[in-house]
Amino acid sequence: MTTTTLPTPARSALARILTVARLHFVNKGQIIVVPWLIMSFIFAVTLIIGWILRSSLSAADLAEAGSGMQYSGAIGYFLVYMLVIAVMAISQTFPFAQSYSATRRDFYLGTIVAFTTLSLAYSTAVTVLGWLEDLTNGWGLGVVLFSPGYLSSNLLERFYVAFVLFLFFFMMGIAVASVYVRWRVNGMLIFFASLAVVILGLVALATVTGSWGAVGAWFVAMGFLGVVSWTLVPTVLAAIVGYLLLRGATPRN
Amino acid sequence: MTAAIEATGVTRRFGSLRAVDDVTFSIEEGAICGLLGRNGAGKTTLMQLLTGQDFVSAGSISVFGQSPVENASVLQNVCFIKESQKYPEDFKVKHVLKSAPWFFQNWDADFADQLVEEFRLPQGRKIKKLSRGQLSSVGVIVGLASRAPLTIFDEPYLGLDAVARQLFYDRLLADYALHPRTVVLSTHLIDEVSNLLEHVLVIDNGRIIIDDSADNLRGSATAVVGTKAAVDEFARNRQVLHRDNIGGISSATIGTLSDDDRKAAAAAGLELSAVSLQQLIIRKTGTTEKEIEFSA
Amino acid sequence: MDDSRPIFIQIAEQIENDILGGALPEESQVPSTNEYASFYRINPATAGKGVNVLIDSGILYKKRGIGMFVANGSRARIIAARRAQFHAEYITPLITEARNLDISPEELTDMIRKEGNS
Repeated sequence: MTTTTLPTPARSALARILTVARLHFVNKGQIIVVPWLIMSFIFAVTLIIGWILRSSLSAADLAEAGSGMQYSGAIGYFLVYMLVIAVMAISQTFPFAQSYSATRRDFYLGTIVAFTTLSLAYSTAVTVLGWLEDLTNGWGLGVVLFSPGYLSSNLLERFYVAFVLFLFFFMMGIAVASVYVRWRVNGMLIFFASLAVVILGLVALATVTGSWGAVGAWFVAMGFLGVVSWTLVPTVLAAIVGYLLLRGATPRN
Repeated sequence: MTAAIEATGVTRRFGSLRAVDDVTFSIEEGAICGLLGRNGAGKTTLMQLLTGQDFVSAGSISVFGQSPVENASVLQNVCFIKESQKYPEDFKVKHVLKSAPWFFQNWDADFADQLVEEFRLPQGRKIKKLSRGQLSSVGVIVGLASRAPLTIFDEPYLGLDAVARQLFYDRLLADYALHPRTVVLSTHLIDEVSNLLEHVLVIDNGRIIIDDSADNLRGSATAVVGTKAAVDEFARNRQVLHRDNIGGISSATIGTLSDDDRKAAAAAGLELSAVSLQQLIIRKTGTTEKEIEFSA
Repeated sequence: MDDSRPIFIQIAEQIENDILGGALPEESQVPSTNEYASFYRINPATAGKGVNVLIDSGILYKKRGIGMFVANGSRARIIAARRAQFHAEYITPLITEARNLDISPEELTDMIRKEGNS
């Protein structure tokens, strides 16, 4: 028998990667609707609390409560939820994309495209909402949700911080889920055990060498923006490690 | 003849277990081929290797002339429907029907709609809420409507009733006749599919033990029944696949018989009956009938 | 379809039977390979093989772009071929079994005559 030529004309790499990216958005419930529903709920609760405070507290108490709200972690929830979405995208959509005959490489790059797009969209949304919040003086109630005090008033800078953080959580989710897809539960156990050892080791190192002062000084010197920028290092590392792991993964039952 | 699939010395080890053990075969382009064998024989592993979902430990595989592993131009011609396919959380049937055409160039949406109606699949229902049979029909519909040049079905119809299975066979045959393609069908319902197959591969313990055309296999074994003495006499010097005794009556499953053999058997007062493909495979793999019937 | 013989031979025989029985008169069009495949629920390649057996032996012929037809005189040829096989397939086993049952040739002839007249 002789071998044959391919039955269908090859598609470009870009087309294939964008197809995978599209696959992540075919069911918008998980990736868009649910997180924003929860966000809306948090927003509503925050507004109600703000209204209750406004109508029941004295001006002095209000100022104090307001400063407490400067550090509300509502956005934090949103970021962690993105990590969950990324984990599901890898652990569930990877075996599914394999059934659609996507290569691991196309799947991975398509996933990165999808989540970078999502990061851009969500950073823009959060920035715009923060801008509106400032503009309306806390939605008319002095409420702080999208514009916590530690962010600069520069919108571009805010957008950058949000974008980098979204990327960080997405890529962490992708990397962790890739460990799972490649080595299953045993891999996860070993991964988290190793992670704990590394962190404890670093803490011990800092303690033994008496360099906590230096560490603190580094954070102060970097400033908020600097520290956020430094997360790009683990973000990129996670993206690379995720690919190396997924490249050898097989969809199993 | 051109080969859609060529496997040479393919082995897949999991630790010390050889799930697929030094397997060599080819599947002709445009044929419907059965990949048969008992549970755990290595069928699914072999299909995962053929579709680049798993990696060989040794040997080589070529699909449409190239290695399938991470090879997009090969894989875009392949649709592999797996019995245990996982879908993303909260996916609905309509999400599958919407996204599948992006990946399969030959996708026929009208055909898919027709099948959804015929299999009575609720489009708006979540995949995880589907019954076992409905879940199987999602796979069957994607496999048929994809019209992929190489379509592989691994136990495609668990939970489907006889009517729905017949519908699958009928649609497969009719669509295959209009749009010829290479189909690999793995199933334990061998009697049901034996007439659909052009070629048969039987895998047992990771090894290919039968690789032949369905025409050759048909009639390649005969059950000979008679008195024990007569059967003993006839079975001597012949290949016996199986022996059974009840009282003084004996039955032997014997390899290919010539016309003269048949006359000799008739003259010796022996009764001859055909052995079905399923029976033949049971005899050759040392399985009991129950095991094949109820394996899933 | 019975399990003892290749399906394509059984398909060829079935078409011959249809010609003998008058369901497919000479010069009439024969169903397509795909129609046979879906009717008998068999592989189209196998159905094609069965049809080709009859084309090779001149029972059927192809009209380009139209389909397959029953050749003129094919009924007589099928009868001739089957008559040749009749002895081996029916008479020999009949005589063998009759002998086993101690049925004399005269008795057997009587039985056949009675059956033929009824």
